[in-house]
Amino acid sequence: MGRWQELDHTADLALHVWGGDLKDLFVAAATGMFSLLAEAAPAGAPVRFELHLTALDAESLLVDWLNELLYLCTTEDVVGTEFLFTVLTPTELHAEVVGLPAGERRAGIKAATYHMLAVVAVEAGYETEIVFDA
Amino acid sequence: MVAKESFRRVGACSWELAKSYDERMQAPARIYAGEVLFERAFGDRSVEQLVNVAMLPGLVKYAMAMPDMHQGYGFPIGGVAAFDYDKGIISPGGVGYDINCGVRMLTSQMDYEDVAPHLDALATELYRRCPSGVGGSGAVSLSWGELNAVLDGGSGWALKYGYATAGDVARTESAGCLPRAQSAAVPDRAKARGRGQLGSLGSGNHFLEVDVVDAVYDATTADIYGLRVGQVVVQIHCGSRGLGHEVCTQSLRQLQDAPRRYGIPIPDRELVAAPVGSPEGQAYLAAMAAAANYAFANRQVLAHFVRLAFEEILAGKVPDWHLDQLYDVTHNIAKVEDHTVDGMQMRLVVHRKGATRAFPAGRPELPAVYRTTGQPVLVPGSMGTHSYVLAAEPASLELTLGSSCHGAGRTMSRRAATRAVRGESVRAQLKEQGVAVRAKSMRRLAEEAPFAYKDVSLVVESVVGAGIARKVARVRPLAVIKG
Repeated sequence: MGRWQELDHTADLALHVWGGDLKDLFVAAATGMFSLLAEAAPAGAPVRFELHLTALDAESLLVDWLNELLYLCTTEDVVGTEFLFTVLTPTELHAEVVGLPAGERRAGIKAATYHMLAVVAVEAGYETEIVFDA
Repeated sequence: MVAKESFRRVGACSWELAKSYDERMQAPARIYAGEVLFERAFGDRSVEQLVNVAMLPGLVKYAMAMPDMHQGYGFPIGGVAAFDYDKGIISPGGVGYDINCGVRMLTSQMDYEDVAPHLDALATELYRRCPSGVGGSGAVSLSWGELNAVLDGGSGWALKYGYATAGDVARTESAGCLPRAQSAAVPDRAKARGRGQLGSLGSGNHFLEVDVVDAVYDATTADIYGLRVGQVVVQIHCGSRGLGHEVCTQSLRQLQDAPRRYGIPIPDRELVAAPVGSPEGQAYLAAMAAAANYAFANRQVLAHFVRLAFEEILAGKVPDWHLDQLYDVTHNIAKVEDHTVDGMQMRLVVHRKGATRAFPAGRPELPAVYRTTGQPVLVPGSMGTHSYVLAAEPASLELTLGSSCHGAGRTMSRRAATRAVRGESVRAQLKEQGVAVRAKSMRRLAEEAPFAYKDVSLVVESVVGAGIARKVARVRPLAVIKG
């Protein structure tokens, strides 16, 4: 299981994210981001999306992943609640995302940024810090 | 971490970090700030971010930070960096996601006493007519064809459709239209987000404010700007909404490989860059300029709806309720400008990330009315506090390539602010001060609490002390509309 923690940032929002493997890291980053954005509405039918992404490396893939989710959230007004990967390598992902209608918005996030981004392999898996433009 | 001792004082309000500090630096780094704000700059990572900017190739003069500097992502907020058009780079990280976020000020012929009895009704009407909030649709919905016309035409589009006067357009930076804009360079996805959002404030620190002028410092300039003590004015602060965010996101994605291909060393991936003249650099310039035009049109459409709100509430109750435009400035932008650097004429791409252009008297880009005074520099304070109108001074060209501060600048994170205060009490405090507040979200009010920002007067005194601009007038808020 991955986990995440919000970090203080003067103007924007930031998360420290840990995962036992890349999948855990990507799920924790997405869950963390949605926790900053909004709660799911108390009632509503789930919506399913499929995402296929390729990128240069794990950092780019992570930013693409979060920005794709952000785009879905903004245009479809949903928050992602389940993230299932059929393919996840440092340069490619295929995922099915389940979303629920968004409730009250906590924050407006413009984008996940690449600022000083590094997906670092550690003994327990991976960790990274992500800054969001809010 | 950069220590403040590494900087050398080079003026009353200017501090320099020598290029020799890090062998990767292409030019020195400069901070324009009085002692208090200079010291405070070391409280977050903004100085490290400034040093990163100084490492980008083709940098001219210095990597600069204005006194309202604070930590951003990539560039510090309050950062200015200019690159040689022929040998330098352009970087989306030097503009940010809210392309052409900026401020507009409208002036009225009314005094505070005229408006005071109607303030609550006016605040409600402004809130109703000028949509705000996260996501949030705008007052105008556009077909794909019309959206392209907005992207290519900016304020000119608004003039054609009756949302602007010719005076508004003339009194907008770059006449509200950047010439290199190409709607075709904007991704469809960005357009999809922008179609429904024209004429909306958005959230975060964006606002609409009714203010009263409470001090005039330079009577001659104030007269030319059309400002006098007791007069009611309006400020609009917003940008290019989801369209701009998407243009930046897509551009950064496309440029991720550019540093490797062009051999550009970058200290931070958010600072990915391409040579200005490369296909990637030109594509970003065209898309960014188009998003900037959308933002000019957005503030123009909002100004139109502000005028309708004033008419709705004040017509027949005051002799004259119309609003003129003082100026509209952009503070997240990269612009192609000609400057004299060490006696040489150079074409530059000036990135201003949370910094306002401050062109002095005589610059040909200024509308005729401001050619003897220098351009108005609009410096909004935090919610509930003063804002300032400055005039650019001649030294600004030499000091900062014609750039100034853009606001108060945050000093406390949104999270810390929401832990420290509730939105309801911020609203109650403002009401006690006589400020009517209409806000979509109480949480946003807490995040934007005045104590989360620097004291705007310290920022302004730094800019004045450095010789970048002079004070013309100060305003205080009467009504605030927030997302």
